[in-house]
Amino acid sequence: MNTRSIWDPWQDMRRLQREMEHLFGDVAPARHWPLTGEYPPLNIVRADGGLTVEALCPGVDRSTFDVTVIGDALTIRCERKPSADVPAERYHRRERPVGAFTRTVAVGERFDSERTQATYMNGILRVALSRAPEAAPKKIAIQS
Amino acid sequence: MTMTTTGTTPAPARREGVGRAVRSIAPRVDIYETDTQYVVLADMPGVTSDGLDVVAERDSLVIHGRVEHAAATADYQEFELADYHRAFTLTEDLETDGVTARLQDGVLRVEIPKSPRVQPKKIPVRTE
Repeated sequence: MNTRSIWDPWQDMRRLQREMEHLFGDVAPARHWPLTGEYPPLNIVRADGGLTVEALCPGVDRSTFDVTVIGDALTIRCERKPSADVPAERYHRRERPVGAFTRTVAVGERFDSERTQATYMNGILRVALSRAPEAAPKKIAIQS
Repeated sequence: MTMTTTGTTPAPARREGVGRAVRSIAPRVDIYETDTQYVVLADMPGVTSDGLDVVAERDSLVIHGRVEHAAATADYQEFELADYHRAFTLTEDLETDGVTARLQDGVLRVEIPKSPRVQPKKIPVRTE
């Protein structure tokens, strides 16, 4: 699978946004998710046996995580709940997003859902996907 | 409590092993108050307690978090981890000696007690 084959019209806009964050990071709160409003933002790292999807989602209620793999599609559902028993008039600033979020990413290759592992540490969800046996690369012998 | 931008407290740029300068970004925060304290919640994913500095002085609160940058380059990227830095100006009605900080699941929670003299007092009403 080649994750670069995932066509994303917002890729250039995100790159521009990251550069703007670096330029103005001192004067504006961080925007960690794309201009499209998709949350949580994702990174995908390839490895030999599969790939790892990282989701930036600090402060998620762990009981609300729902990670599913169907075919080549990974779906992450989670929820950030507001502080309980704090009326709106008590807030001086509210910059952190709250609510239920869903992201689905199709990576163009089948994965073994039985061997999928997910960890949540320091506000980052990491889902390690293992390539399905039938999707593993096979070396083709050349007949002479 | 009022807030300043980190522009008044320039975030230190630091240099990674590959020679690339990494700037800090200001974390998103919620600030609310109760009868007895102010609470600051800051999103700082990727920061561990070892990489976190919370400094409360007489009139300022500064939070700074360092992240470990991934060794592998992402093949598809929507976010990039960077160090966090943000400063707040504190008013005189806060007890900086009693500030507490806790980091859980990438969210920093700082509690700043109010001075007893500004906390609400219930006045008993006498009936005659």
